[in-house]
Amino acid sequence: MLILSRKLGESVTIGNDILVKVVAVSGNQVRLGIEAPREIRVLREEIFNAMQEENRAAAAAPDTNRRLGDALKRLLPNVPDKNDEPK
Amino acid sequence: MLLSDCSQTFPTKTMNQSSEPVTAPGAAAAAIALVEKEILIPEGLLGFPDDQRFKFTRFDPGDGGETPFFLLISMDSEISFALVHPDSLCAGYRVPVIPELLARLEAASEAELLPLLIVTVRDRVEDTTVNLQGPLMINPVSRRAVQLVVEDYPLRYPLLKSLAGEL
Repeated sequence: MLILSRKLGESVTIGNDILVKVVAVSGNQVRLGIEAPREIRVLREEIFNAMQEENRAAAAAPDTNRRLGDALKRLLPNVPDKNDEPK
Repeated sequence: MLLSDCSQTFPTKTMNQSSEPVTAPGAAAAAIALVEKEILIPEGLLGFPDDQRFKFTRFDPGDGGETPFFLLISMDSEISFALVHPDSLCAGYRVPVIPELLARLEAASEAELLPLLIVTVRDRVEDTTVNLQGPLMINPVSRRAVQLVVEDYPLRYPLLKSLAGEL
């Protein structure tokens, strides 16, 4: 990880198109201003990580079909019960 | 079945309240038109940057019935995702759409886009949730998609309650 020190009001540039500026400092909280092309996604890291984790939890091996089928049978009790078919 | 209002269940501060919900009347038809087609997700999904080509199919519950679910099956690895349209869960799901997103998806307007949500099936099926925070925005014509992050909505929305209309 590249470590740089900045004072309030100073900035770093990333590549040609991204700027990160220290806009305010209050106690242990730092307010950052970010200029970047709009198509570049800027997220708090915990949001990014949580989304990755959620995608990973959702990404299923071939038994997704069976598990979702089981879920539906529990949630919609009127669905007739049949033998599971292989995917 | 009375669906809860997405925007009342999850009040949003940042969205333009006068914008129309993304779900256009032809949404169901747009999803069905994609069945058995290939979709390209140029940046992949968060956590799966190398999975870019997917086959889009209906979910088959195995009893000949119809469900509101679809499957996205990776052609680059062994993974697959179950998808559901937000209209099946709540009314008025809105996603901020910027011009750069439209350009990336080769769409002319928001109305052309199809939002689909990823379902996380869990070991306890009652705990199954839907990711309203990371919708897949699909252009059914170009068959390109991007996963957005919309922080106003929850990452894990209980599927059970929404289908029963309790939320």
